[in-house]
This record gives sequence, C-alpha cells and structure tokens, in this order.
Amino acid sequence: MPMSQDEIKSNVLTTTIESAVNWGRKNSLWPMPFGTACCGIEFMAVLAARTDISRFGAEAIRFSPRQSDLLIVAGRISIKMMPVLIRIYEQMPEPKWVISMGACASSGGVFDTYSVIQGVDQFIPVDVYIPGCPPRPEGIVESLLKIQDLVDKEKLSDYALSDTK
Amino acid sequence: MLLEKTISDVKESFPEAILDVTEFAGERSVHIKCDRILDILSFFKEAGFEFLADLTAVDNLTLGGFERFVVVYHLLSHESVERVTVKAYLPEEKPTLRSVESLWKTADWQEREVYDLYGITFESHPNMTRILNPDTFDGHPLRKDYPRRGRIERSDFPQVKRGIRKENETP
Amino acid sequence: MSRVTFEPLETDSMVLNFGPQHPATHGTLRIILELEGETITGSTPEIGYLHSGFEKLGEDLDYNQYITITDRMNYLSPLCNNVAYALTAEKLIGLEVSKRTEHIRVLMCELSRIADHLLNVGMLAVDLGAMTAFLYGFRVREDIYDLFEAATGTRLTTSYTLVGGLIRDLPEGFDKEVLRVLEEVDEVTDDIETLLNKNKIWLDRTKEIGVISKEDVYSYGISGPMARAAGIEWDLRLKEPYSSYEDFDFDLVIALNGDVFDRYLVRMEEIRQSIKICRQALEKMPAGEVNVDPDLGFSLPSKDEVYNSIEGLIYHFEVTMPNRGMTPPVGEAYVPTESPNGELGFYIVSDGTRTPYRVRTRPPSLINYSIFSKLAKGHMLSDVPAILGSINIIAGELDR
Repeated sequence: MPMSQDEIKSNVLTTTIESAVNWGRKNSLWPMPFGTACCGIEFMAVLAARTDISRFGAEAIRFSPRQSDLLIVAGRISIKMMPVLIRIYEQMPEPKWVISMGACASSGGVFDTYSVIQGVDQFIPVDVYIPGCPPRPEGIVESLLKIQDLVDKEKLSDYALSDTK
Repeated sequence: MLLEKTISDVKESFPEAILDVTEFAGERSVHIKCDRILDILSFFKEAGFEFLADLTAVDNLTLGGFERFVVVYHLLSHESVERVTVKAYLPEEKPTLRSVESLWKTADWQEREVYDLYGITFESHPNMTRILNPDTFDGHPLRKDYPRRGRIERSDFPQVKRGIRKENETP
Repeated sequence: MSRVTFEPLETDSMVLNFGPQHPATHGTLRIILELEGETITGSTPEIGYLHSGFEKLGEDLDYNQYITITDRMNYLSPLCNNVAYALTAEKLIGLEVSKRTEHIRVLMCELSRIADHLLNVGMLAVDLGAMTAFLYGFRVREDIYDLFEAATGTRLTTSYTLVGGLIRDLPEGFDKEVLRVLEEVDEVTDDIETLLNKNKIWLDRTKEIGVISKEDVYSYGISGPMARAAGIEWDLRLKEPYSSYEDFDFDLVIALNGDVFDRYLVRMEEIRQSIKICRQALEKMPAGEVNVDPDLGFSLPSKDEVYNSIEGLIYHFEVTMPNRGMTPPVGEAYVPTESPNGELGFYIVSDGTRTPYRVRTRPPSLINYSIFSKLAKGHMLSDVPAILGSINIIAGELDR
C-alpha cells in the first residue's frame, strides 16, 4: 500500500550520506587512551561517575588500536616510548583523530630533559591540544566536543579521491 | 648501640679500606675504598643491617671528594632502627666495583640503573644492561658532563604524515 | 596386531609480549613472558618507558622549584612526595617547622593515602573484572580531590609544601568538609569490602597468588603494604616517626600470608587507620604560623606584603633571584617516609649553592616491582594483572 503524503512526512528524513555518516561517527567515538602518566589518572576521572563521557557516546574505551578511531595521548612520551606511539598511530584504521592531552604531550611541559619528547606533534599529526598539567576532566570533555566538530566537517569526497589514486 | 659498635668493628677489621667516618645532620657515613665493598657490606649485613634501603651513585666532578664517582649504599637495621650510609669511591679511569647482588636481590635492578645513568659497571652482575634508557642510547645522562637537554636523541624520530585525510585547519 | 598409542599432547613454549600498551599495565610497563601453555615459566620485566630525567632536572632547579616536579612522580598521592622532599631539604638545611605545619602535612598525607589505596584497590578490581569497586572508590576520590583543590588550588599536581612550610594555610571550614568526606570514605570502605571480601571469584583470583615470604622482603628490599602483608612489622610512621607522627594513635596493620588478597586487606585496613589519624589531626590541630620565620631567608613573604609594600617586594626578589636566596650547607641528607607504596626516600647532596648537587629518589615502585619475576613464576597468564595490580606500580615513580 503506498504511503500517504502525511505518512511520508513523519517517517522519511532526507539528508546527505555525508552528514548521516558524520553524525554516526561523531556520536560514537571509540577512544584509545595512550595514558602514560598523571594525565592518565585524570582520564580515569573522566570515565568515572562525576564527568561521565558516555554522555557523549565515547565511553567505549578500546585498548587495541585496531578498534578505535580517537587516539588520546595522555602523559609525557619518552624516547623509549615514541616508537611505540608511532606504531600504534599507524595501526589505527582511517579515519582517525588525535588528542594531545596536557602540557607534556603537547610540548614536553616541565620536562625539558634528554629523554622527553618535546611535543608529540613533531612526529604524529595532532588535531586537538588540551592545555593544563594535568587538564581538568572538563577540559577533556571540551576537547571531545572539538573533535566532534571536526568529525562533522569531514568530506566523503576526500576519501573517494584518495582511493582512486 | 648497634651502629656505633658496628662502625668501630668495621674500622678494626678493615683498617686499610676505610677512608673516613663522618656525621652530617645526624646521619653516619662510612667512606671506603671500592675494592673491599663486598666484604664490608656483608660484614654490615651480618652485624644486623639486613635491609638495603637504597643504592645509588653520585658524580663528584665539581663537588670534589676522594674520587670522581661514589656509589652510595643506605643500610637499615629493622631490629635497632638505625641507618648507616656506606660510600664506595671509584676512580674515573676504571669505574668498576663488585656487585652486591649476591647479598641482596634488590641490588640487581638498582645496579643496572647506576650503570645506565653513570656508566659504572658491576663485576659478576647477572645482567649488566641498560634499564631505563633504550639499548641504543649513547652516553650516561646523569654524569655531570652530559647536557640536560641531551644531544639529539629526543628529536631523532621519523615523522608520520596524515593518511588519506587532508591536513585540517586547527579548530 | 597393531596397537594404537597416544602421544602426549605437545605444547611448545611460547614467548608473549605484554605491554607497553596494555590496559592492565597501568601506563607503561612491558613484560616479556615465557609461557608453557598458559603457565608462566619465566618473565622479564622491561621498564624505562616513562623515563623523564627527574634526577637530572633536580640538578638544575632550586630547592623550591623541584617541589613541582615531585608532584609528577607518584601521581596517585602527590602530597606524600611533596612532604617527603620538603622534609629532606629541611633536614639538610636544619630548619624546624612549626607544629601546625607538621600536623597539616600529616593530615594531607593521610588523605592522599586514602585516595591512593582506594584507587589501587579499585584498579585491581577492574583488572579482575569487578568494575563496581572502582566506581565506588572513585566517587569518594573525587570528593578528596575537592578537598585538595580547596587547600592547594589544584586537584592532582598539588605542590603544597615549601621548604620550611606550606604555600598557604588551610582554608576556612576545611575541617568540616574533611569530616564529611571521611564519613563517606568510611561507608565506601565498608561497601567495597562487602562487595569483595567474600566474593568467590575475587577469592579464587587473589588467594595464594604472588606470595611473598619474609626472606623475600629482606632480599628484595620490599617495603610498605607489601612487606606488611608478608608479616613484617615495619611502618616508618611508627618506627622512625617523622613530621610528628608520634603524636598520633594508630595501629600497625599486618597480614600473614603475603598474597594478593592479604595486600588488598592491608590496604583496606590502612584506609581505616588513616581515617583515624585524620580525625585526630583535626582535633588536635595546633594554632600558629605555617611558615618558618622569613628572616631566616628561606620562606617567601606573604602575597599581601609583596603587593602592598616596597620592603616586601624587595624581600621577595631577594629570595627568588638566581644569585640570592637560600643556600644550604655542604652536605647530604636522606629522609625515608612511609608513602602509600612503601619507603619513599629522598637523598639530596648539596654543594652549598642554590640548586641541589644531586637529588635521588628512593622509588618504592621500582624496588617492589623487582620481585615480579619471582612472584609470577608458576602462575597462570591471567594472574599477571592481579599481581601487577597488587604491587601498585606507578610508572612515574618507577622510571622517573
């Protein structure tokens, strides 16, 4: 039986594939916390009851890079750890986003020493930086919203073009 | 008390190895030559200082002292609640001394740490390799002549480009 | 007639890489395990993935500046590090702080001990599949964070002590808040014990796992709750009292079996003892100044003076300028303190200048972790998270 005009209005929504995909992606980010130091503890606080990130659909913490699309670098990265981080970044499937959480990951922070990387963005691409040493849980929530904005602006045509190359 | 008695016993038993016995801020330190370290520490252990609280080293490059390097042992007696510091001096040309791993297993990792950071080697240690820095690391960072910011190790990594996504404008 | 024979099923020994990125490694540990089936036949822990050059940095920063660095060492209980470092520097210089300062330090240390143990037990439970204990524990941990924030200004990296005092006195109404939180902690401790103590899965996975004997404690230099769980009656707060711990009345907690379960029990009981100490500290809190006399040249003048009088400003500069300020005598000091993990000691060598010549931390995590290979041998692969969790390894302190 064909639908009446009224039924179509209340049951069908027209949109582009792009916005539908982006909407799905941004509300179900699967973070992979690369927590090494103090920031890792604050990241735990974000998972706990008071600032619960499942409100933003990002509570599915995956410790395997192959299952996640958001890398959160939380804590200082030493010269021994950097090759591991690069490898984990490369193991994540596209599309992927990176948050550099806290002063140490973003710039080395107070650790201006021989063994601390002075900012992971020298070696891997970073989308959002969170200031603070360590950032408050609210800061992490804010950065998650920023990532959601970025995801919203994704263009499917970018992927199509790169596939034909 | 145990501490005074042990120190005078050590002085008596190893007169040629003891360089000095000092006191600062209520802490007693026994300064010794490095070649009798194992004997002296087992003497302390048998006397009742059965807990090796800490093992570390100091580079005396600008501080001065008997020799360039000193390995510092903090011993503790649970029985009489007293602590003593034993300091073994090593020359710059040959920074080597006997491992005390046979007396305390805890010395295993701490001696590796001293080796890693100061380049002091320990004879008859089961596994004398770097512990904190990567195996490829060149130099011993806690020596006074090593720069704090390092040489180039912290910026010597490949740069990973973005995958299929274009470079985003930062939000 | 041919006979059918069965060959025994052959298993090859296998090498498994565990970490450095693994949820149970709490940061950055890596263990290379040798397995026979699922049984561990050997293990080689590899550390150093968070080596940040703390000790090198200490030779470059002055005595008060380094306090901010000690926060980032054991980030589960930064206040204990602050206090341990300040005590060492004060011993080196020969400063006597007021009774009030000492009591505030005790109060703060014990609050951090509660927070540390709660998180440790919670994480151990998460690793063994009991998420609830973590969520319960973290709820009160957030309340303790609020207390720290009220007193120090930040949640985690507190930097609360100064050499010769504290950055500020306790805020008004702090004691009431503390009492309220302590009450909640009391409840949550009971709740967690109700959840876990008789839980069959919990008992199966923690009893007789990773047993430490008394001889091991001496040989491996184990300290803190791990040593006490093995039956060693050693608590620095009671045996070598520092920061006026001798004024407080509390019990030494020991257990006898030395396994993961006993370490958990010791931690839970220590939370109760800490609550007791906190209550006493609030009750007997002496009045007075928190900083040593500014004329000694070690403590900063109050902000009020700095902003409103020329003398105060000049004096502030005198203390903080690179070629002035505090200069301790040539010498060295080692002060052991009882941190939630064990004996946390600082060893400072001074050459008489503004910056220490050498700052060494005696890291309880590193020394307690060195026994891991021995504990893991003969157990199953799934026991590794239980053993790791019960050691309470803090990577920042482990690798420094």
